[in-house]
Amino acid sequence: MEKNKIILSLLVFLTLFAFLAGQLELVKTLFIALLLATTFMKGCLIIEYFMNLSEVQVKYRIIPTVWLSVVITLIAVAYYL
Amino acid sequence: MEKEKSKYPPGDFGIWILIYIELFTFGLFFIGFAFSRRLDIETFHTSQLLLDQRIGVINTILLITSSYFVVQALKLVKQKDFKKQLQKAVRYLFFAMLLGVVFLILKLFELGDKFAQGIHLSTNQFFMFYFILIVFHFAHVLLGLVILYNLFCNTKKGLYSPKDHKGFESGASYWHMVDLLWVVLFALIYLLR
Repeated sequence: MEKNKIILSLLVFLTLFAFLAGQLELVKTLFIALLLATTFMKGCLIIEYFMNLSEVQVKYRIIPTVWLSVVITLIAVAYYL
Repeated sequence: MEKEKSKYPPGDFGIWILIYIELFTFGLFFIGFAFSRRLDIETFHTSQLLLDQRIGVINTILLITSSYFVVQALKLVKQKDFKKQLQKAVRYLFFAMLLGVVFLILKLFELGDKFAQGIHLSTNQFFMFYFILIVFHFAHVLLGLVILYNLFCNTKKGLYSPKDHKGFESGASYWHMVDLLWVVLFALIYLLR
């Protein structure tokens, strides 16, 4: 299977997984962790493969990845504290 | 042997400055939303129950599939026998735009439904963030569609080639940024409870 198709399938799978996890009566902390982890993975896939930053020097690809990490971490802090 | 890394990100450097600024701006709104929720969890929770998560899921799939079509079109543009693949690249771009338009139509229905229920910007703090983020993102999708239409016309005219496709890469990068922002926005506004 072609790489881009695998990335698209993963993104769709993670989206549906997060949605279905929300329908289950999961423990709140577990659900938040799952949701933020899947969002982070989806963001990284878009940055690395769709934006094609996996092919460029670290100093350029690091900016959106750091942005994503900081945003997800602060959201986690706001929801867990 | 490891493939040599490019010196710069794909597209014009200017588009990346714009992308970094947009990410920073949306990031502030996302964090603002998360911390404002802490002040009134009950209101945020009950307001969030009024949103239709299924539309959010459909919209997410529409945008990531649209992004995939743009990736595929760019891949064809970079190929040596691009002239033979031109029609295929044009088709990919057409479907990328179509999915973007469907995204906007669904968003309009969603916003219209909220207004019909008497919900607006000043209903409460949740909906203030909801309307600002959704409308701000909507405007970005709209601009992204204008850019995609431009790429569509230029590709159709055969203006890109394996050696000269920087303009295409710039437009594609902008569209992927719109996708990236939606992925975080969807999780934060629709799913996190």
